[in-house]
Order: sequence, then C-alpha cells, then structure tokens
Amino acid sequence: MDVVSEESSLDSKPGSAYQPLAGIRDEAKSPKGAIRTGWTEVFEEIDEFGEAGLQKWRSDVARISRKRGLAYHPVAVEEIKTKGTWSLDPIPWNFPPETWKKIEEGVGQRNRLFEAILKDIYGPQHLISEKLVPAEIIFGHRGFLPDLYDVTPGDAIAGLGISAFDIAVVNSGRLFALNDRFDSPFGLGVALENRTVVNAVLPELFRNCHVRRLGYFFRDWFDHLAASAPGNREAPRIVILDSRPVTQDTEISFLANYCRITRVSDADLTVRNGKVHLKALTGLEPVDLIWKFAAGRDLDPLESNHPIDGGVPGIFSAIREKNVAVVSHPGCEVLQSPGLYPFLPKICERLLSEPLLIPPVATWWCGNPSAKNYVLENLNHMVIKSVGHHSDFQTLYGRNLSFDELSWLTARIEARPQQYIGQEELNLSTVPVATDQGLRPRGAVMRTFSFVGKDGKPNVMPGGLARVSKEDGGIVSTRKAGESKDVWVRSHSPEKPISIARELTQSCLTTPQITPSKMAENLYWTGRYAERTDFITRFAARLLDGRTFGFSHDPEIESRHEALLLYSICEMNQCLSWLDNAPNPDAKIHLLLNEPKCPVSIAFNLKQFRGAAQSVWEKWSRASILAIESIWNSWDKGTGDLFHLNDYPSQLDETQLQLSAFFGLNLDTMTRDDAWALLEAGRRIERTVNIVGILSFLLKQEVEPVLEHLLDESILFISDSLGTYQSKFMNEPLTGPIMQLLLGDAGYPRSVKFQLNRLGEVLAKLPDPKEYDHPSTFLKPIISKLDRIVLKTKHDGEMLPITRTVSAKDLQSLYKEIFHLSDHITQSYFSHAVRITEP
Amino acid sequence: MNHVRYQIQHQTTYFYTGRIDLCHSLAHLEPRGDCDQEVIDHKIKVTPKPDSKSVRKDFLGNTTHYFSVQGSHTSLEITSQLTVEKSTKTPVLPKSELPWETLKIALSDLDPSKTRMVHFLLPTRACPHADFIREFLRPSLIAGKDVVALANDLMTRIFNEFQFLTGATDVSTPIQSVIANRTGVCQDFAHVMIAALRSIGIPSRYVSGYLETIPPPGVPKLKGVDASHAWVEVYSPATGWVGFDPTNNKLPDSQYIKICHGRDYFDVQPVRGIFIGSGKQSLKVSVDVERIKESV
Repeated sequence: MDVVSEESSLDSKPGSAYQPLAGIRDEAKSPKGAIRTGWTEVFEEIDEFGEAGLQKWRSDVARISRKRGLAYHPVAVEEIKTKGTWSLDPIPWNFPPETWKKIEEGVGQRNRLFEAILKDIYGPQHLISEKLVPAEIIFGHRGFLPDLYDVTPGDAIAGLGISAFDIAVVNSGRLFALNDRFDSPFGLGVALENRTVVNAVLPELFRNCHVRRLGYFFRDWFDHLAASAPGNREAPRIVILDSRPVTQDTEISFLANYCRITRVSDADLTVRNGKVHLKALTGLEPVDLIWKFAAGRDLDPLESNHPIDGGVPGIFSAIREKNVAVVSHPGCEVLQSPGLYPFLPKICERLLSEPLLIPPVATWWCGNPSAKNYVLENLNHMVIKSVGHHSDFQTLYGRNLSFDELSWLTARIEARPQQYIGQEELNLSTVPVATDQGLRPRGAVMRTFSFVGKDGKPNVMPGGLARVSKEDGGIVSTRKAGESKDVWVRSHSPEKPISIARELTQSCLTTPQITPSKMAENLYWTGRYAERTDFITRFAARLLDGRTFGFSHDPEIESRHEALLLYSICEMNQCLSWLDNAPNPDAKIHLLLNEPKCPVSIAFNLKQFRGAAQSVWEKWSRASILAIESIWNSWDKGTGDLFHLNDYPSQLDETQLQLSAFFGLNLDTMTRDDAWALLEAGRRIERTVNIVGILSFLLKQEVEPVLEHLLDESILFISDSLGTYQSKFMNEPLTGPIMQLLLGDAGYPRSVKFQLNRLGEVLAKLPDPKEYDHPSTFLKPIISKLDRIVLKTKHDGEMLPITRTVSAKDLQSLYKEIFHLSDHITQSYFSHAVRITEP
Repeated sequence: MNHVRYQIQHQTTYFYTGRIDLCHSLAHLEPRGDCDQEVIDHKIKVTPKPDSKSVRKDFLGNTTHYFSVQGSHTSLEITSQLTVEKSTKTPVLPKSELPWETLKIALSDLDPSKTRMVHFLLPTRACPHADFIREFLRPSLIAGKDVVALANDLMTRIFNEFQFLTGATDVSTPIQSVIANRTGVCQDFAHVMIAALRSIGIPSRYVSGYLETIPPPGVPKLKGVDASHAWVEVYSPATGWVGFDPTNNKLPDSQYIKICHGRDYFDVQPVRGIFIGSGKQSLKVSVDVERIKESV
C-alpha cells in the first residue's frame, strides 16, 4: 500500500530551516524541499515563533507532563537509572484525510484478519489442518492456551478488543506492519495523554488544523463493550483490570481515570459461584465485563501449567460459563508471534478472501530449511527474533554483532531453527522532531489502535502513538524508552468536541462508583503512613535538637533522655532489635532517618506512603500528586549525600512542611466520599495510636524530676503542642496538664479526643459491612474509656506515682482497643473474610 | 481371557494451619474411556461440600472436575473411588518397522484420539529442548534403529542409570538437575524419557495412573502404601501408542491402571488447588489399589 502524499505547491518558504536527510524519505517534506500535504500549518506556526517558540513548546510539554505526574514521569527514582522513560515531542505527525483513509483501510483489514485468525485458532483450526501455518508456530507459542479450545470468540466470548498495530513507511512510500499487539498493548493511555498535553501546548494550531477527535472512537468502543457483555444484561458492570506492577500503571490509571472506569488489580476480583465479583467497601459486587490490561496466560492460576503469582483463580471457568466477558481474549498473545508473518498473505486470502493491504516486513521462518539458509547467509543485516516459544531470547540486530556473536547465533539457530525468524531491517522514513538543535529528521513508527465491532466492521482510532528515534534517521527501539509524538489526523471540517467520560455515562455500561477493597486499603494506609512519617520526623527533630543545643547540663541526663525517647519510638514500631544492633548512639538516631529497611525510619515510611499513594493515583488531584512526588523527591535528593546527623534538621523541616501541604491539599480538593473517609480514618487512627503510645510510655517511667520534666517537654514538642501548652497553662510542662491537653481537650486538633471525634464523623460515611458490625460501634466504648481516664487525672498536676501507674495501664488498654478497631476495619472492608463457622 | 478387577481409592487431603475462605480446585482423577481397561464405576467425593462444580473435557480429551468451596474451612478432602477391570495378557514389545531417523516424515497430523500430534512433539516447561538432553540421549542414537526398540533401550538406560529416591526432587525440580544428579521419582523419569524422545521427533506423552504393588509372600498388604504412578507412551504409525515404564523397566501390564495423559505432568496433575486465606497448607495423599476379583 502506498502513501504518496501529493506535494503541495513548490512554495518552499515555510519551514525552510528543516532539512530532511538525503536518501531517506521524510513525511513532512519531499526530497525537493516541498512541504507535504497536512504539514503547512505546522511549519507556519514554527516559522512564526521561531527557534525560541520551539524550545518553549518543548519545555511546556515537559512541564505539563511532569506536573501531571503521569506516563512520562518516572515512577520510582531508582527506576530512572535502569529503565528510562518516554518523553513527548510537541510537533505532531500529520495525516491529511486521503492518506489516513488508506491507513484506516489497511489497519482495519489487519484487525479483521487477526480476529479471524483468533476465531480459527480457538475454534476449528482450519489454518493448521490446511497447513497454511505450521502447527508448531501456534502450539509452540507461550501465549497459546490450548485449554481455551472451547472459548471460541463469538456470542458472549470476546475477541481481540483494542489491538495495536505498528506501522512504518519506507523510502518508496509503502506502508509496512512491524508489530502486532493484542494482549494488553502498551500505549493507548499514552496516546490519550499525549493528545491532552499537546493540545494544551498548541491549542490554536490544534483548532486550526481540524484535528479529528479521539472521543468518538471511545464512544464506539464503549458501545462495543456494552454489546460484548454476556447474556442480555442491562447496564452491564465494567472494570479495568490492571495487574502490571506499580511502576507501569500510570498509563492505565490515566486511561481509567479519563474514562471514569474503576481500575482494579487481580487481588480485587474473586470468583464465587462461577461469577466474578469485585471486593469492594460495600461487599462483593458482581462484574459483567473486564477490560483487561494483564497478560492472558497469567490470568487464571488454576488453569495454567506454569506457576503464577496472583491472577484470578476460576476466571476461565466463569468465561466458559458466559458469566463474564473478558476483553481481550486471554489466549490472544499467540497472535503476536512474528512467526505468522511469512504466512499472513495466504492466511488473509483464505480467511478474508482479500489480498493483504499492508504487507508485513519480509520475514523468514527458520523452521523451513531454505528460509533458514537464507537467514544464515544474510545474518549480518537481519533482525533475529524468537517466535515466542519458551525462550527468553531478545531480538538481535545482525549488523550490531561481532564475528563471534554471529557464529554463536548461527549455532543457536541451527540447533533449534523452528524457534527463530529472520526479518529484513527496514529503512524507516523520518518526521521532524524538536530538539536542542532545532527541528531534526528522525526515524518514526506509528502505533495505531483499532477494534472490530460486533457487525464485523473495523473501527480505527483517528490518531495514535508515534515513536521516534533518539538520533537523526536511525531505528526506533520499541522496547526501551524513547520519544513519542501525537498523531494528528485531519478532517476537512472541524469536529465537535466530545467528552469521553460523558460518553461513558451515556453508554449503557455501568461503572460502579465503588471503591475496590485494595484501593480502600491503600487509601487507609496512605493516611497512616503519612501521619506516621510526620510523627517520626518530629521525633527525629527533637533528638537532633538535643544533639545540637543540649537540653541539660548533665550529660548523663542528656543521654538517658535520648535513649528513652529512642526506646519508646522503636518499641511502638516493633524495632527494638534494630535498636539493640545499632553499634553506637549516632547509629541509633540514624535508624529514624535514612535506614530504608528499618520500619521506624523516615525513608522506610515515606516509601510505604508513596507506594500506597501511587497505587490509588487516580484518587488524587494534580496538586496532591505533585505534593506526593515532591515529598519523596526532596527526601531522596536531600538526604542522598548526608552523612552527619547535624546535616538533617533542615531536611526534616522541609519534609514536615511538605506533609502538611499534602494534608492541606486533600482537605481542599478531595470529595468527601469513601476515599476521603478512609484516608482520614487512617490518619486519625495513626495519630491516636502515636499520642496514646507515647503518653503511656511516659507514664511508665519512674525517673527523677529533672528527667521527667525533660521528657514532658519532649512529648509536647513531638506532638507539636509546646506553644499551645505554654499559652494555655502559662507553666512549665507538667504531666497532669499534658494529659488533659493531649487526651481530653476536644477543641484541640492534636488531642486524642479530637481524633476520635473526627474518626466518628468519617467512619459514619462508610457503608455497613455485610458480614460485620459497623466499625463506629467500636468507637463509642473507646471514647467513654478515654473520658474516664481524663476525669481520673483531672486534678492531679504532678501526678502521684499511683495515678501514673493506673493511667499507664488504662492507656495501654485503650491502645489495644484502637488496634482492634483497625483490625476490624481491615477485616470488614478490605479482606472480606467470611466469618468462621465452627462445626 | 483372564481378567483382573481392581478397586482403587485415591485420597488427597489438605490441612491448613490457618483458615481458608475460598478454594478453587481442578482434578484430573477420572480415568479416560479410551484406555485398554474397562471402567466399572468411578466417583469423586469432596468434603466440605463444594459450592459450585463442573465437569468438562480438556483439550487432550481428559475429563476434568472443577469445584470450589466458599465457606471457611480448615481442611479439604478429595476422594476418588474407582473400580476397573483389566485383561491380564502380557504385553509384547511391538515393532514400528521404521528407523527413528525417518519417523517424522511418516507422522500424521492427528493421533488415534484425534489430538494433534504436534502437542506430543513440542517442548514444554517440564520437558524442554536443551543441549544436555541431546547429550544424554546421544549413546542411544544407533543409526537405523527401530523407533520402538530405541524407546525400549532408553527406558532400560534410565532404569539402570537413575536412582529412585523419594524426596530428592519435587514437582518444581528442573529436568536439568534430575539428569545431572541421576536421581528422581517416576515423574522425573517420565519427563526425561519424553524430553529425550521429543528432541529427535518421536511423539511421546506423559501418563498418570496407579500401579498395584504386591507385598512379599506371606506379608499382608498395608493400607495406603500404593501411590499414584507415572509412565510414558510413545507413538509410531504401525504400533499406535505403546507404553513404557522407565521407573521399573517394564512394559505396562495389567497392574497399571491409566487415568489421564498429557504433554507433561502439569497437564494432568491429579489435584491442583488455589487457596485463599491465611496460614500454611500441608498435603497428605494416600492410594490403595486392591485386587478384588480374578476371572478366567
């Protein structure tokens, strides 16, 4: 198929600064320097704003992308070093309507073809019986799931869903297909995201170019999904299943958020009575449709013959019973085999009775002796890939290999030829990319997205994800990080804007606005870890103050005070063995700072905080995302090269400030729903536990008055109450008044009473658990117990030893009850354990 | 013709230290109908009673039982009871009339049970293609040797060179260490034989079943001493599928009761369970093969 865009008038004025490479086709300019159709407006815009404009767009894109904290944004700092990330080029790849029509036709046909192959492989297998494709290419592929032979796409069994096809143009202007991806293809979320970012950077250009909207494609997709649900279910319930690790889930959470579909992980789903349910705050909710972003072969551990962590046991059974539709078909990975390429033209003739419009890259399967000989003779300019058998073989480029490596590869292919294919290496056409050195021509591949409707008609997204190489010309690595581009498909007249989320609500799909249990748990722990970090940070600041300024003239008091504080915080966080093993006092303090594996360290808790927050990404406002990231980044960068304890105080201040910014932002931006309630509940419970814990520790100590006063003062400092205490009591710290303030003062936001009252308010927002009592019923006895303790200590300023002992005991039992409450929340909302029925 | 009738009880019990809220299980316990044996009766009993269950044929034609238990439970017991009758004729090694080098060309697409032959030729996770397997097989590759005779020699070699040692391996032990250490149990020996034969294009499959054990004269047979067993079947066009037991260097006779066959162990694992809950699980399996009748 050719994409020879006719050249516009030879007026080569706009974009004259852009020079394509000699001998390589460029998509924006002809060899004679004429601008190709569809690129005039872009070049005019570039000319108008010049080099400075180009650089501004680049930095705007980077800024907006980073601010969103999404796909291009490195999720974990340690990942950057190893994995790299995707960046976005502001200049779109343009397609005039006529050119796109050809691509649409070719991609659409390809999608229909692969649907037909899927139906045949998990069905009558004509292709194999008629030897149109060697049986071992299909059956040997790790993604072929033989036991889905009775899960034939059709009626209520889904086919491929949204498929991705990588398309490239070569020098002659012909289109080639490079890769086909079906099993949760990468990039749909990135494409959507690129569109929103570029649109924000170049809004006028976007409007003037009559760029086709992506929303209409999604509207049709939602209709397709609704039609794919099993049975004649009215308003089928849909979820997005994402079992990728956190580091990759930004693209999918963006997509889920954009579409307003609840994103769940496999642990959120459970099969009961042959039906799939979502574990949610409200109990088990039935699910009819799963839009899957998880490897099909890892989906059902019960029917897998390799060990799987996670997955949804019993789900294949539910699919067979037509109780749930999973899109895409779990066995579709086999279609990604490049081993199919040599046979595709004939398969297309057989299954569609049409000639294949977009040819695959010239490919030789080494299982065929003459093809193998050809590959081996031309090895130094071939691309060698595994056909997807049980092998960890990585794609190799012959031209990069040394003589020894080539002979090693030859031996490998000779030993098991049927596991390899050789592919011609294409010379890709280039597109203009904004760089430090201005606009440069870079090799490009475009990932297109499409699906085939129930009527058999393909629907191709008018847009896509273009990927460009990091250097002029050159190849595009699809595996590793690189640069991406938005794809602009033009229409002759402007299209009306369309909101994807609104389309979804207007489709007949139900997107249960319920909070999955896992998400609920992560929200709860986000609150707890944030509060815990804050508490430890104050603790550390107090200890470091002692080191810097000193609290006492007596070094013995000083060191006992430090040791007691350290003991208390380590005991509360079950880290006493760490404390015992730390070789000296400095190392003991260091446990609270940058000891990433020690549960009492700020580093550990920040990491937990960030991990929990990240897995509920879509619940945060942009500003909160920024806050979460900056808390972590500032700690990680700020403490990376700190060795001495006295370097830490300013970093501790900053972390505290950022944590309060995070809490403040949530207060300002979050809807007061379940999510909010859980985050708040976590935070309030943690704060209660910390205050009660430290007070009961203090009361247990039988020490001389001078140390006691010092401890009293420390507790006020740690609970951020020193100023309040002083203005309220006009006195030096005394245990009695401290107890009154920190336990009983309902109007004081740092008091336990205040926390419990708030907790009561937020717990009331949570639904009734099906199997258990509502957690708020546990709260009342806790509050009355607290009141009794406060009453008992009311008129005892210094606190007599006997009162101290009794109060310490009371506080201990209060402490335990709060833990029970937390366990109860976990059981009734997060784990959905069925009650034990003793025989 | 002489016949012998067996009553077999195969009991699998899972014990948990904690509490299990949900379990999904898949069992390959029902005997195939197309073996050289007559199934008189078969039933599977699960305690506690499953909340949902279904029966289907897998892609190889084995019958699988799926069931799930949803209430919380602390143990799970699956009992398979089988009555089967077998002919007592002594097996004789047939001839394929084909040298192993030319077998591949003569193979048809489907085997007699209409399963695609290629499934029994491709490597699997348990029976991979690898250089160490070719290395192991090399001494058996005598030019022009009959396919079945080659399989028979290989069986004898495995029997002679490998030591049967319970506990030396488990289901996750890779075949590489089985070959390196020359120790294992029946599953391992079957996998070694299958991997070796497939590497030269001889279709072979894994058979799960039971083997009657006979105590020395005068010693009464103890309960639960039998075990599930595994052996191999090898295909050539002239002979069809022929059984070999590398663990005992024996052609399977009337004492072998077949249940299922697959590409490797993982296709026909007798009971596979996924348990959701707390605590650790332990497993107890007992098998009794009892001879109840001999007829002439």
